[in-house]
Amino acid sequence: MTTAVVAAEHLSKWYGQVIGLNDITLSVPPGVTGLLGPNGAGKSTFMKLVTGQLKPSQGRIAVLGEPIWSNPSLYFRIGFCPEQDAFYDRMTGLEWVAALSGLNGITASEAEQAARRALAIVELEDVGHRKIGGYSKGMRQRVKLAQALAHDPELLILDEPLSGMDPMARRKTIRLIKEWGKSGKSVLVSSHVLHEIESMTSNILLINQGRILAEGNVHQIRDLIDEHPHSVHIRADSPRRLARELLSADDLLSLKFEDDAVVVQTARPDAFYARLTELAASDVCGAIHEVTSPDDNLQAVFEYLVKP
Amino acid sequence: MTTQNPRTTTRLTTATMRIFDLSLGQMLWSRRSVFLAIVVAGPVLLAAGIRVVVTISGRGLPMINGSPVTGGAVFGLLVWLLYIRFIVPVLGVFYGTSLIADEVDDKTITYLFTRPISRAAVFLGKFVAYLTCTALLILPSIVLVYFIVVPLGGGSIGAGFPSLVADLGMLIVGLIAYGALFGLVGTRLRRPLVVGLIFIFGWEPGVLLFPGYLKQATIAYYLQALVPQAMPADESVVGGILQVFNEVPSVWASLATLAVLTAAALILAARAVQNREFVLDQ
Repeated sequence: MTTAVVAAEHLSKWYGQVIGLNDITLSVPPGVTGLLGPNGAGKSTFMKLVTGQLKPSQGRIAVLGEPIWSNPSLYFRIGFCPEQDAFYDRMTGLEWVAALSGLNGITASEAEQAARRALAIVELEDVGHRKIGGYSKGMRQRVKLAQALAHDPELLILDEPLSGMDPMARRKTIRLIKEWGKSGKSVLVSSHVLHEIESMTSNILLINQGRILAEGNVHQIRDLIDEHPHSVHIRADSPRRLARELLSADDLLSLKFEDDAVVVQTARPDAFYARLTELAASDVCGAIHEVTSPDDNLQAVFEYLVKP
Repeated sequence: MTTQNPRTTTRLTTATMRIFDLSLGQMLWSRRSVFLAIVVAGPVLLAAGIRVVVTISGRGLPMINGSPVTGGAVFGLLVWLLYIRFIVPVLGVFYGTSLIADEVDDKTITYLFTRPISRAAVFLGKFVAYLTCTALLILPSIVLVYFIVVPLGGGSIGAGFPSLVADLGMLIVGLIAYGALFGLVGTRLRRPLVVGLIFIFGWEPGVLLFPGYLKQATIAYYLQALVPQAMPADESVVGGILQVFNEVPSVWASLATLAVLTAAALILAARAVQNREFVLDQ
């Protein structure tokens, strides 16, 4: 029998009168699992319970077979990449990752070695000596990932890891997460973008309004993508050149400009993201800095799912 | 990567020192430190002003009861009124109440609380960083004041040196006691800064002016027993107030009380951090 990496039993969490999670019972198997839900669905509450930052109001949660709350020794086996864009900005990437790795009980030189390896994995070794305050959004996301995996954890917990990354970094991070899963480690990754989760795993937990709606291999969700247009916000050096390139294919439903960004709607996100990544790599329309996807895509899918 | 995963948490002392390493630089170069460096520069400017006025006037320091006030006595007064009664409590309040709150506000606490270390080590490491940071701010200031003021009235820098060392020790004791108390306030109460400011600017000066036992519920009461210099005494209103301050416990009783208070505050604060949920704003 395979042991669940995360097991929750009648798990509830409320903040005063507000319910964050409501009576969740689930079992997350080893491998890569995606936690999918719109903003405010309870993803972050669940992630905080899984990482022992919050204590369950009711029920139980076990991670790698042990309760996580007030059990710091378990963090030797867990790496966590939080959602918030928060750092010690005056430190360099290398100093920061090494300092956090040092909290795992290894010597300073071992911590620095671990940090260098982790920065190499996320392809930040060349900028490790630069202050984090000067990093781009994508680099900040990757350095967060580096601190999570520097101590080689059995379970990697990633809260919206692709948020704000440029297309190349997204592709690399997705590949990294998949490789991590193939190497026998486990990853629990949250997102409000269906396409992102699907590109990493087919094992999905659907969460909305504090409840798990479905878990397992949810192929039906895939079909809903085509029925609900997918919005993508792309910040780039030259939005007009980018728009011209994007309009050359037939995978767009609409396109509009917003300040230094292009906002598109597509019914074929797979094809669109593949094309966007190629455009970013070829550099024919200048640098693409940030790609984000508002959660109204998923909200529409969920509204459809829970419709009586 | 083949880092070994030991099954116990990192030792408390090791983890405390790692948190100290991580926090000291952040604390030293924070906006709070820059602001408080300006505050601790105040006594230096005041001492320099006194020195300039006395030197230019050529009349020396004023006489009390027919005896000239010495530079050492002026230094003692500055230490008591500016450092012990103002700067040390202010440093304690501003840093102590924010030891954990800053990390929560910056949302960086997550990185520390998801490591195999006791949460108590996070608090203690930050407390040690606070002590180092504030000592680095305050000690140069008081040493400068000493060198500027003590030679006034023919005072000897060398002869007064033991009392300078005692003053420095007393300031450190003050920083420890106030820091621990406000560290506890910061981890337990909702508006710790307001509570801390009321304590140092309302409660302490208020109850110290009245005879009775209430003053024992202040830190200043125990700190004043450690002041090495004799207060200048006269029959003026100021002299009368200073005499009220002279009603102090013994040095050993003060040290013992402050040690117990500090230990209790640190233990309670560490327990609060250990058991409390820190919900970050989304």
